[in-house]
Amino acid sequence: MLKSHEKFHSENGKRLLLIADDEFINREILREILQNDYELLFAENGEETLEVARRSKGVLSLIILDLKMPVMSGTDALHAMRADPELANIPVIVATSDQNAEVESLHLGANDFISKPYPQANVIHARIQRAIELHEDRLIITKTERDELTGLFNREYFYQYAVQFDHHHSTTDMDAVIVDINHFRLINERFGTNYGNEVLRCVANELLSAVREAGGIVCRSEADTFMAYCPHGQDYKTILEKASRGIADENAEDTQTWLRMGVYESVDKSLEIERRFDRAQMAADTVRGSFATRIGIYDSLLHEKELYSERLIDDFATAIKEQQFQVYFQPKFDIQSEIPVLVSAEALIRWNHPTLGMVSPGAFIPLFEENGLIQRLDIFVWRAAAAQIKDWKTRYNFVVPVSVNVSRIDMYDPHLDSILLGVLQEYDLSTNELLLEITESAYTQDSEQIIDTVSNLRNIGFQVEMDDFGTGYSSLNMLSSLPLDALKLDMQFIRSAFAEGGDTKMIEIIIDIADYLSVPVIAEGVETEEQLVALRDMGCDRVQGYYFSPPVPAGEFEKFVAERNEIDVAVPEKLTPSREIVPPRRSGAFGEVTHALAAGFDAIFYVDIESDHYVEFTSQGKPENLQIENSGSNFFEDAWGLLFEAIYPDDEMRVGLNTQKNTLLLQLAGHHPFYMTYRIVENGRPVYHAMKAIKARENDDHHIVVGISNINMQIQQALADMNIRTKRTSSDIY
Amino acid sequence: MTLDDLIAFGANVDEGLGRCMNNEGFYLRLVESLKGEKGFESLKAAIDAGDLDAAFEAAHALKGVLGNLAITPLFEPMSEITELLRVKEDADYPALVDAIMLKWNEFLAL
Repeated sequence: MLKSHEKFHSENGKRLLLIADDEFINREILREILQNDYELLFAENGEETLEVARRSKGVLSLIILDLKMPVMSGTDALHAMRADPELANIPVIVATSDQNAEVESLHLGANDFISKPYPQANVIHARIQRAIELHEDRLIITKTERDELTGLFNREYFYQYAVQFDHHHSTTDMDAVIVDINHFRLINERFGTNYGNEVLRCVANELLSAVREAGGIVCRSEADTFMAYCPHGQDYKTILEKASRGIADENAEDTQTWLRMGVYESVDKSLEIERRFDRAQMAADTVRGSFATRIGIYDSLLHEKELYSERLIDDFATAIKEQQFQVYFQPKFDIQSEIPVLVSAEALIRWNHPTLGMVSPGAFIPLFEENGLIQRLDIFVWRAAAAQIKDWKTRYNFVVPVSVNVSRIDMYDPHLDSILLGVLQEYDLSTNELLLEITESAYTQDSEQIIDTVSNLRNIGFQVEMDDFGTGYSSLNMLSSLPLDALKLDMQFIRSAFAEGGDTKMIEIIIDIADYLSVPVIAEGVETEEQLVALRDMGCDRVQGYYFSPPVPAGEFEKFVAERNEIDVAVPEKLTPSREIVPPRRSGAFGEVTHALAAGFDAIFYVDIESDHYVEFTSQGKPENLQIENSGSNFFEDAWGLLFEAIYPDDEMRVGLNTQKNTLLLQLAGHHPFYMTYRIVENGRPVYHAMKAIKARENDDHHIVVGISNINMQIQQALADMNIRTKRTSSDIY
Repeated sequence: MTLDDLIAFGANVDEGLGRCMNNEGFYLRLVESLKGEKGFESLKAAIDAGDLDAAFEAAHALKGVLGNLAITPLFEPMSEITELLRVKEDADYPALVDAIMLKWNEFLAL
């Protein structure tokens, strides 16, 4: 704050004033009155006033302006200043003997006036001081209170404002409201940040007017999250509809799916303001991804959940001290050998709470991830797992490597390696006995930092497996830039692939890609023999799941160790993909995709037309940059849905018809490819795109490949050529 | 010229001094500098020529200065003529100016 004040001082620390009056005597009187407290500049007419003001803008604190001056009047000078953005904010006090001019000058934007003959010196001082203070306070406030992108309040100011509001309206019932934009990251990625910013501004504007009408205040709290504080009992459905209208204009259809809202009604004012909005956020999170319900209300159920969460956090320290946390082990088997062989185990945490009973990891892990406690819990698990490895090693003379989770927050700890090495040292183990699992989502943010950390861990000998692969935003590019020791296919992936109407194609593709990158694949959540056999045939290396065993306490797990100990099969310490020895049946899907991308498409969709599952690949023009951009279970809605948000209006009907599933399949009967061009609105201009759809293989009626490319340059060139030709033709005629 | 001369002339010396931070020397210097003021001649010339706009400009400027120095015997008639000229009232301007010039010459003799 000091800094911005300093800006207004001249070099000797006094603020700088400009006195504009054509009369020497008037100037002299003001000089006498003000010179001890201010640094003074003088001007004798309007033109000089503007000149001096321009020269000293940024350091000039105030102008005392006589309205009647020769050459250019003070009135004209004031007019000119208010029209000039650089001078518009300098406070001006008008000095006039004409009472009518006082009103006029205030209309023109004078901040105050003093009469002539001048009032008492202390009156002049007081008015100058007040005008400067008001101006500087406002300047500081506008600099810190606003979110630059949307012009809404920022979160800090919003909280302050809300607290002030409560202070003055202690009996008014208030609601805390959160508004989020669904899939905002996708909007940014698809249409660029400019478009994303425009969406934010539109939503901000609509929200502002709707919330204002309701007598509330609104701010952008971060990224795509807005907060509002309104008197209780608003029609939030209408407010949400109005806010959605901000982005509805161009993309008329069903735009309400864009926003979701969380409302914590009649807030408990004894709670800190931040906590009230945490509750609204909890409510908003309950409708995440739901199209039917867009408004979540903080109710007794959520309240219980919050109390439960608080309790878990409060009980953490005691739980560690009293050893309520237990480590369970789930075996991983190598399925490429003739009989499945135990190769390692995963350590999984369980919480046996003295009063709540067994608490699900799904309930406490996200909580501890959020507040950082997870790091202590992780270290606890690492040590417990290491102790167990050591115990089995001593008693069975056999090493079962155990994999442990390394949470995202651990990855940012600069001492991660020494902590891990310390654990190993404590139990006299080596780096290939304790395996590390990191989650895919850990990779997507700050990827360079993560890559550095993983590289470092691998350099000192740790094996790093990627957990939950296929659930998030999979950057295969990053995988290829960072060799891992295994990919773990997410349980959900396996489940939906083997569910009724499911399709294992996606698994095949991923195994294919992993093969290409020479990384073994571990499938989680395998429950049946059918799944096991199918996965083995697809080339999956290892399997973990209830088919073999649920996670069990160390005592129970020992039977696998004992069994394994009896099978005298040499298992290499660091497993290489076994399909190098027994080549599995290749699906070839990956080949098709890379082939298509090499043919110059910007994006390729591999679609299973029975289940509508799809994977979107992009390569930025280079096959080695191949990455999975997106995947989903409803191609015709998801992928085309995004297309229609930006389609050029004239093309909408035609494209709409041709992209319907039935029509498209009809077009693809036989083995003919289907071509279509259309225009997408980018930055307000239509840009030509081409789509090519074709069956994945000649006799494959189940899979299609759809390629999209930007052909704007070619089309524009062709249009230009046609123009030239037309002109020539016309000149030939005459 | 002394403060007593100004008091005798009818100026509100306390008010004028107050505006000059009670700096007697400074006040007297400003009042003395008023003697070089060409505005009175301009006002008379404008009235003689019937140019009421120019007369207003001159009167308005003088009114401000006279007011600030609190030279009441000149300030009061100058305020009167300024307000008349501002709306171009039908008035006997030459007579008003003559009365002002009479006081002005009195002032110059101080």
